[in-house]
Amino acid sequence: MLFRQIVSYALLIGVLSGIVVTAVQMWRVIPIIQSAEQFEHASAAAHSHDHAISGHGQTPWAPAPGLERTGYTLLSNVLIAAGLALVMLPLMVARGATQTAGSIWRRGLLWGLAGYTVFYLAPASGLPPEIPGAGAAPLEARQIWWLLSVACTASGLAWMVFGRSRWRWSSVALLLVPHLIGAPQPSVAPFSEQAPAVAAQLTQLAEQFITATAMANAALWLVLGLSSVWAVRRMLLSRH
Amino acid sequence: MQNAVSNETVLDGRALSGVVAAPVQLLMAGLIGLVILYGAVFVESPVVHNAAHDMRHSQAFPCH
Repeated sequence: MLFRQIVSYALLIGVLSGIVVTAVQMWRVIPIIQSAEQFEHASAAAHSHDHAISGHGQTPWAPAPGLERTGYTLLSNVLIAAGLALVMLPLMVARGATQTAGSIWRRGLLWGLAGYTVFYLAPASGLPPEIPGAGAAPLEARQIWWLLSVACTASGLAWMVFGRSRWRWSSVALLLVPHLIGAPQPSVAPFSEQAPAVAAQLTQLAEQFITATAMANAALWLVLGLSSVWAVRRMLLSRH
Repeated sequence: MQNAVSNETVLDGRALSGVVAAPVQLLMAGLIGLVILYGAVFVESPVVHNAAHDMRHSQAFPCH
């Protein structure tokens, strides 16, 4: 049954991509998050000293530092990769025979590049990846813009690549819509609450973070694209 | 009588695996994917947020 095959392959792809992307994150991304958190905690401690206790009693559960936290990051990465595969595999199967022709590398890289553009390049060009502690526009506004950006880029690219109409190049307009509207911006500079020396260090961390996340996401989509094309070929060829 | 009942069962079993059209199966798989993505990316309950925190930052999803 097609449904069961897709779910099984998506889980396999999720585990594989999740392990690879977690390894890249441990190498380049997590160290930056941890450095930023040290500044964040230092700043929070200073603030709570000033204003006494402003929390709402119990602090919510969070994974313990070390193995437990890494474990939950791995689990989240596996889930997100499996979720992405569950969305991508049906699209590829729906494209049918075109997916079984040509080099698996070329097709896998193209799907990976499309996913990277939709889920990283397009949203991150408006809302750069944030390190913890960075001030930003309200969360809800950013989530809505993020969704808009992903939806417009995905449908724009699909129309451009799969469309048959001679007007399909006008889909470029769709790609531009979220950027013409503009991503919600913070009202003040991201680290304005910090001392100038700390703000300079955090700005540097934020810049490194963009390169690091660009790399981790490229690794994710490389594995997702290639393994999804491999899975779809196995599924489609086994049906004949 | 016995025969008729067993035939019906066989037909039903076939119907269950055959009648769900391929496009519906593809749609169901895609929808489950979207639900998983929503949970991992957007759910703001503190526990889910803390568990998925490093992944959300690394994937450039809006987090805080």
